[in-house]
Amino acid sequence: MLKVTNVGKTYGKFTALEDINLEVNDGEFLAIMGPSGSGKSTLINILGLLDQSYTGEYLLQGKNHKEVSDNRLSQIRGDQLGFVFQNFKLLTTYSVYENIEIPLVYSKKEQRNKRELVEDVIEKVGLKGKEKNLPSELSGGQQQRVAIARAIVNHPNLIIADEPTGALDSKTSKEIMDIFTKLNQDGTTVIMVTHDSEVAEYAMRTVYIRDGRLYDDEKSVKK
Amino acid sequence: MNDKILIALKSIGKNKNRNFLTMLGIIIGIASVICILAIGDGFAHTVTKGMGSHNVRNKVIIEYQAMTDYNADDGFTPNDASVLAEIPGVDHVKLSSSVAEAGAKVQYKTKHASIGLNKQPKHLKLIKGSYFTMTGDSNGAYISENLAKQLFKKNAINRLITINGTVFVVQGIYGSGGIEYRPEVYVSKTLFKELFASQISKDEAKLYVQPNANKKQIGKTAVKKMKKMGEEKHAATYKVSHPDQVSKQFTKILNDITYFIAFIAGISLLIAGIGVMNVMYITVSERRKEIGIRRAFGATSADIRNQFLIESVILCVIGGLIGILLGYILVAIINAFLPFKAVITTYALILSLSVSTAVGLIFGYIPSNKAAKSELVGLLKEE
Repeated sequence: MLKVTNVGKTYGKFTALEDINLEVNDGEFLAIMGPSGSGKSTLINILGLLDQSYTGEYLLQGKNHKEVSDNRLSQIRGDQLGFVFQNFKLLTTYSVYENIEIPLVYSKKEQRNKRELVEDVIEKVGLKGKEKNLPSELSGGQQQRVAIARAIVNHPNLIIADEPTGALDSKTSKEIMDIFTKLNQDGTTVIMVTHDSEVAEYAMRTVYIRDGRLYDDEKSVKK
Repeated sequence: MNDKILIALKSIGKNKNRNFLTMLGIIIGIASVICILAIGDGFAHTVTKGMGSHNVRNKVIIEYQAMTDYNADDGFTPNDASVLAEIPGVDHVKLSSSVAEAGAKVQYKTKHASIGLNKQPKHLKLIKGSYFTMTGDSNGAYISENLAKQLFKKNAINRLITINGTVFVVQGIYGSGGIEYRPEVYVSKTLFKELFASQISKDEAKLYVQPNANKKQIGKTAVKKMKKMGEEKHAATYKVSHPDQVSKQFTKILNDITYFIAFIAGISLLIAGIGVMNVMYITVSERRKEIGIRRAFGATSADIRNQFLIESVILCVIGGLIGILLGYILVAIINAFLPFKAVITTYALILSLSVSTAVGLIFGYIPSNKAAKSELVGLLKEE
């Protein structure tokens, strides 16, 4: 799925990432763990093609996208990647349905009926009947379900989740992680950043990042 | 595209008050443009209609100008007309008068006034009495509102007046404050010819020329001949008249006025445009999170730029449409006070909408471009 070789990133004199090497296979569920400020988010911004100013080499699906035009990058993000953020990042004045529909507005993929696609994922994340609600009318867990639905509506190969349970209680976190597990079982590769070891246990593999360095790469077998 | 329009409408609807205030500049600007153009077009239409009789395409007009007031009533004679008709290239000649009214004295009881008088026109809007075509030697007369006030205290209809000693019955009163000049009295065609026409000097000779004739040459020859053989040559001078030049000059002045007012409207639209730019900057900075999300989920820079440009254009076009509506209302009000009818042409509507769109595009471009160029990681940090 992706291969990172000697990737580094600096902000002025501050080194955010240094000599990162990582390989993720198709269908894997990887957790990136580390404390605040360790460089987790910087790394997934690079993996998600959101940040292109890094050193080293990053291949996604075997291709280096560093010299690719901004438009093409947007297209790859829209068609191949799905993002889930810690604070949901939903548009507050848009309904559940409209939020989930966003990736389809820009997608160049040949799709079946957009409405059917949105309705399918709404059912998948268990939000049927909430289509017309605004995010403010939903609980935290429901809002994160909307965010997940938005990430998967365009059937991406890779889901990148940045602290997806960071704003949720433990019971709701479990519900959300069950959804990620199910998605992974259906064949989608998932890369998740978390600082919660319980959440990391849902992943097939965990890597640790501290002070911008990836220092452990032990495979852990899911219970 | 439909998605983008819906997103734009949603965003505009979200901040109704702010956007309405922004639109106000456009509304006022466009309403002014509509009014200016309607008044200009209406005025030009009225003037051009009035100048219709001066169509000089197939004729050369020779003017008779008396040297003193004493012989002002003289003019071209039938003999002069015969002489002019013999000029090579001239088909036929008609004598007419530039002053289309005869001078006369009107009297009612002890009151009297000097007036201009003419034969009944085809169309005359009466404010009192009823219009009908006076035939034969009907002694009916229509008088102007001013003359009615001058001669009668109250009702003027059906009163008897004498004009140069002949008795007439007042049949109707017409308004006299309009842009079109009207004499004080109209009488039937027959009586006008019989009693008053002789007073009007034939000071214009219209030489209808054959196709392809050299009008300039004919004019020169005609003036030369009249100076030599004209029956009134000792009392007058002759020259070629150029009414089309008057019309051209008039159109030029009208255009200058229109350009000047359009310039003022342009300034108000410029200020409105700056307002649009300002509100678009605010919108872009308020929606950084949204831009980030859309970019992360596949929107290109161009998608984002177009999104905000569409929003800016829609804002201006809605303003333009309200401006047009306001323009219609203002023109209807103005028409109640104008001596001619201001008309809103399709051209004015197309121009207004084009101007609105252009304001949206021009003033929305820089903020939209700023939105498109924002750094993605920074955008996604917005809460």
